[in-house]
Amino acid sequence: MLIELKDIHREYNVGGELVRALDGVSIGIERGEWVAIIGQSGSGKSTLMNVIGCLDTPTRGEYLLNGKDVARMSDDELAFIRNKEIGFIFQNFQLLPRETSLANVELPLVYRGVSAKDRRAKAIEAMQKVKLEHRMTHKPTELSGGQRQRVAIARALAGDPSLLLADEPTGNLDSNTGEEIVRLFAELHKAGHTIVLVTHEPKLAARCPRAIRLSDGKVVGDGPGAQIAFQDHQAPVSQAAEAHGS
Amino acid sequence: MSLKVDLLEGSRIALRSLANHRLRTVLTTVGVGIGVATLLAILGITQGMDTSFQAQLASLGSNSVYVSKHPWVQMGNWWEFRGRKRLTLEHLEAVRLQCTYCGAVVPVLDENDDVEFMGRSLSFVSITGSTSEYLEVSGFEITRGRFLTEADNESRRLVAVIGTDVADTFFPDIDPVGNTIRVGGKPMTVIGVLSRKGKILDQSQDLTVIIPFNTFKSFFKGNQSIDIGIQIKNADEMERAEDQLVGILRRARQTPPDKPDDFAINKPEQLASTYEQLTGALYGVALGIGFITLLVGGIGIMNIMLVSVRERTREIGIRRALGAKKRTIITQFVLEATLVSAVGGAMGTLVGLGGAKVVSLVTPLAATVRPMTIVFGIGFAALVGLVFGIWPAARAANLDPVEALRDE
Repeated sequence: MLIELKDIHREYNVGGELVRALDGVSIGIERGEWVAIIGQSGSGKSTLMNVIGCLDTPTRGEYLLNGKDVARMSDDELAFIRNKEIGFIFQNFQLLPRETSLANVELPLVYRGVSAKDRRAKAIEAMQKVKLEHRMTHKPTELSGGQRQRVAIARALAGDPSLLLADEPTGNLDSNTGEEIVRLFAELHKAGHTIVLVTHEPKLAARCPRAIRLSDGKVVGDGPGAQIAFQDHQAPVSQAAEAHGS
Repeated sequence: MSLKVDLLEGSRIALRSLANHRLRTVLTTVGVGIGVATLLAILGITQGMDTSFQAQLASLGSNSVYVSKHPWVQMGNWWEFRGRKRLTLEHLEAVRLQCTYCGAVVPVLDENDDVEFMGRSLSFVSITGSTSEYLEVSGFEITRGRFLTEADNESRRLVAVIGTDVADTFFPDIDPVGNTIRVGGKPMTVIGVLSRKGKILDQSQDLTVIIPFNTFKSFFKGNQSIDIGIQIKNADEMERAEDQLVGILRRARQTPPDKPDDFAINKPEQLASTYEQLTGALYGVALGIGFITLLVGGIGIMNIMLVSVRERTREIGIRRALGAKKRTIITQFVLEATLVSAVGGAMGTLVGLGGAKVVSLVTPLAATVRPMTIVFGIGFAALVGLVFGIWPAARAANLDPVEALRDE
């Protein structure tokens, strides 16, 4: 088991009011799985992504990532885990605008302390995997949206993490480009990568072998993507979850 | 990840950031630059002054005191010294007979006047009238010819011993001894040349002519109060010698017991302490201004670093998400602040050195700059950047990565 979440709670205090963004979430994800986490705005899926990505720690509950208990780790330990275990792919790419694509891809390896020569080699390899070897010296501003997202994916792959964690990876792309990215995910899944993909789009979730539906900070569905994605779940959005946003 | 990686990557990011904001960097560095320039110019000038002053003081001879009607250094209270009785040869005789700590005791009279030779002329030459033992008191030596003798004095001979400035001007190629110069219009035969002493407070001690005391009296102001030049035999007994001199002179001058001394015992060290008082105050004020400028420069750096952190919030979020520790982010921003400040320090160092150089060229103040001063200038500027960079850097490191990534 790569990811083991046991009764995870994440509570915020917003203006003196307790917001339960995650309310007892328990999920297990095996190595090599491709899982979509789907839910409406305010369902808690972004908070779940932050917890899985070790950007945030749960208020209560147990989180084992690759066998390590990360729920109670210090800030520095979490930085180390993020660097080693997780490859982030964000909706708005989150590339450094002034650096070349290659330098962006090298960044996780810089923080791992890999020598300049080795990280250059690994970054080039990752750029080849996303078929962008001809755009390595371009800056993000000189690339199209799809290309930027592929650079971001290359960056996620460069560190050879256990988990690729994608947050609405097609959200800022037109449907054709989005489709390219989904196909790239499918290839990566075939190559053995574990992918967790957070989205509110049923069509995207339907493409994943497994989907987990979140509502009001609770898991309300878990099964084959095609089945869960279009499950007409009309649970009322709670005021509390709405207050926190997604 | 190691500190080495933090520093390497931090410097790279810092350099890039500075290059991306050239104008901002230059403007930010100006404040620190001015501060460092001020400090360095002041240090350079005072160091130069100190160095030359120490050498000058040594040339006065530390074993001598000069009893005069007035102290050499009068700090504002000149009215105290009005109406003092003249110092005369009687007083000198009393010292010569009674002072057990004293070696040579000589009368000294001074005047500034023109000296001429073969149509050439020197103005403001120090003309000193004294006796044969003046060499021991003054610390001069004879390099050519001979010094004054008792007979020269008693017979009021028209002879002169000249300083090197006078010798060099009038007799660049020939032996001065035996030539006749005009001292204050009176013809005098050169009998000897003094050793070189150098300048004191930018006044040459070698632009001098020494003639017999009695000759001086008959040609110049014969009635003025004399100075008594005294060589103290043992420098360790200076204080006891002074006490004894005060007693001897009060008795000889019949100073009433309830009155303060109506004469002054002047020592070269007095000049030193006066010099230190004067320059110390100047130094303090100037250093204060320099530090305030640096403080203002430092606050400027802090301000620009806060702006920089604000602008790069998302970048910080990205770096944190990809595995940068808080320490890494702090290092990055502190390095950037330090670097900006050090650049300012380097520019300020150049300007400061230039300023000191200009001062030494256009004023009599000598400016010397020790290599350590340059290191100090840049190092101090870097330190200012470090100190004022810590808070913005800590703010950057303490950003919540989730919030930072959300920043537009």
